[in-house]
Amino acid sequence: MSSLARILGFRLAQAGVVGVIVGIATFVMMRALPGDLAFRIAAGRYGYDNTTAEAAAQVRDELGLDQGPLLAFLDWIGDIARFDLGRSLVSGETVWSEITHQLGASLQLAGAAVLLAMLIGLPVGIWCGLRAGSTADRLLILISSAARAMPQFLLGLVLIVIFAVQLRLLPAAGHGDVKHLVLPALTLALGLAAALARITREATHGVAQSSYYEFARWKGLSDRQVFFRHGLRNITPPVLTYLGLQFVLLAEGVVVVETIFGWPGIGHALIHAIFHRDVPMVQGTALVMGLGFVLINTLVDLAITRIDPRGDGRSSNRAGIEHG
Amino acid sequence: MSVLIEAREVAVDGPQGRLVEPVSLTLRPGVPLTIVGETGSGKSLLMQALMGTLPAGLQARGSARIDGEDFDLSAPGNMRRLWGRTIAVLPQEPWLALDPLMRAREQVAEVHHLVSLETAGGAHADADLETVGLARAAARLPGELSGGMAQRLAFSAARAGGATIQFADEPTKGLDTAMRDGIADLLIGRLGAEGGLLTVTHDLDLARRIGGELMVMLKGRIVEQGPASRLLAAPSHDYTRRLVAAQPSNWARRQGSQGSEAAVISARGLSVVRGGVRLFDGVDLDLRPGAITGILGRSGCGKTSLGNALLGLVPLSGGHVSRDPSILSHRFQKLWQDPPSAFARTQTIGRELNALARLHRVDRQRMDRLLKRLRLSPELLKRPPGQVSGGELQRIALMRALMVDPVFLFADEPTSRLDLITQQEVIDMLGEVVREEKLALLIVSHDGDLLERFCDDVVKLDHRDGTARQSN
Repeated sequence: MSSLARILGFRLAQAGVVGVIVGIATFVMMRALPGDLAFRIAAGRYGYDNTTAEAAAQVRDELGLDQGPLLAFLDWIGDIARFDLGRSLVSGETVWSEITHQLGASLQLAGAAVLLAMLIGLPVGIWCGLRAGSTADRLLILISSAARAMPQFLLGLVLIVIFAVQLRLLPAAGHGDVKHLVLPALTLALGLAAALARITREATHGVAQSSYYEFARWKGLSDRQVFFRHGLRNITPPVLTYLGLQFVLLAEGVVVVETIFGWPGIGHALIHAIFHRDVPMVQGTALVMGLGFVLINTLVDLAITRIDPRGDGRSSNRAGIEHG
Repeated sequence: MSVLIEAREVAVDGPQGRLVEPVSLTLRPGVPLTIVGETGSGKSLLMQALMGTLPAGLQARGSARIDGEDFDLSAPGNMRRLWGRTIAVLPQEPWLALDPLMRAREQVAEVHHLVSLETAGGAHADADLETVGLARAAARLPGELSGGMAQRLAFSAARAGGATIQFADEPTKGLDTAMRDGIADLLIGRLGAEGGLLTVTHDLDLARRIGGELMVMLKGRIVEQGPASRLLAAPSHDYTRRLVAAQPSNWARRQGSQGSEAAVISARGLSVVRGGVRLFDGVDLDLRPGAITGILGRSGCGKTSLGNALLGLVPLSGGHVSRDPSILSHRFQKLWQDPPSAFARTQTIGRELNALARLHRVDRQRMDRLLKRLRLSPELLKRPPGQVSGGELQRIALMRALMVDPVFLFADEPTSRLDLITQQEVIDMLGEVVREEKLALLIVSHDGDLLERFCDDVVKLDHRDGTARQSN
């Protein structure tokens, strides 16, 4: 199956590009930091009080900080290629073990948010798409535009003020229980749901207007049968593609929302790493987020080839029929 | 039962007034009924009113007795149960009417399962596909079918619900003349003594082939009706006469002018391969000023690619094209198949033409002269292309090409989307322009009658063996 190979090849190349870009960016960051690198790393490891010239020299030796910039860069990229992300400058733990800890929490949050967004966005989008031009449809455009325009840090604070401070229904921060998950997931989900509803609405409207939708009714199928057999099938590919792309927004949202709600995830870790100039951690988290984007979109691509098997045959065939 | 549909005083009203004047019609078993008319005559609306599928904003009037049951057409809510079960609809442009993501067999099988509630629906679907010669295409997606195959698949899917009355809405729209007879045979073949067939078309050859009763519609009115054979042989209404006369097979042959001047484009041993398929091979052409060359062939035979290859838009796989090097490349022009998609949709036509005039320093007088020559009202320039009729838009496209003073024009199926009378007007106009402007014209069409009467020279492209034959 050549389309499978093409998808995997393309995404693999994309993953490589993500690795190189993140590597270059963090390498430059590392070099641009003021002060002596070895001292800083030693301070991160042993604490400022215990940082001596010997400790710094040892670090310098161990990490090969004396090499020229080009060699150092190749080393740096080589480490990434071997998935050796080094150690956190702050905790001294390997970046991998730090990230695997946090990733679970982030996935939990992101998963809940996506699920919530789909539960809200898909039915609303489909409903309005099938009733284009109705009051509900026009209301959707208004509400979704407002929801998308609302920054997440503001939405998060508003939710905290209402549900945690005023109503005292849910905790404002923390981790471990389902009740801790509700507000951050909701904050993350609302913007996503708004966008998803709009996309679903457009896709549904397009399908419902199509000749094949009309013809399916003429064949004698009921509205329900037409929708489930011909509607959903054709709505899914664009919506799924969009959802994959929304992962960028999601990653961005995770950073903001985790910080607001003190959620111990990868976004939270990223912010902390930036504050503490913990470049290996910045690199590790950025890399995981970037590769996560590639992975999600690979899965989306594979799912779509299953639903829509037309592949590249479609353009050439159509052209043959229409233009002779 | 002696009558399948007895419709009384059917009319259609739109927001700006009446679109179809009250019409009464009778559909009898075994006797096909065909309504012919041009785009906008209201023939499709009449059919939609009988099905209860008028678009929102349009209101049907009148009543109909369909398969023994009375329906009030102004309240079509309860007509839906007729669809698929009593009335089967063959849609326009079937490749758009088939679910692009569902395989051929399933599009038929689902109707057997869900509408006819048969447990052996799959087997019935296989039998249906076999009947129309699609057995080997059962696992294909609509995008992998040719226009004719898609048409037969749509036909099978429409009939799977067991309906006895067949409606066909412009079933040959966008199809080659070669496929037209196949569709007529398909429609008549299932008619039998019991079935009903109501066809709406602008294609007189299809109407002739289907036979039975004919109604001619003009601006929402039936102007003439009677047996198809008599009506088409001896039309009495003026409009029907014009319609029949506008058929390419009834045209007078154009006075040819075999140009002796040097060719503006010459091709030797031309060959093009696209997508691994050799479209044609060894084509020789000399296109001279004032001469019209036709290219005839079926869909997908590469006739468009041949013209594009001459213009340098498609890479050659063999042979060579020589153009007079002293002539600037923009003087080799193309007229596109579908006028609306050859114009920017959102800006007025005048704006587009003015931009072109500035670019090529065309003076105002020349534009006015062309407008007058092509019988175009200057008012049209104030409109976006969507608000201009197809025939006018194609004439405007011709004017756009003429503005840059071309020496060669490649017209790619320039009238295949136009009505008969409009087609004749545009073709006549094209012929006059060729003579006056000393233009070398290459015209591509699937209509042999048209090319034979209009061209000085016709090249036939045969897809199967990839060769070209010259005639005339």
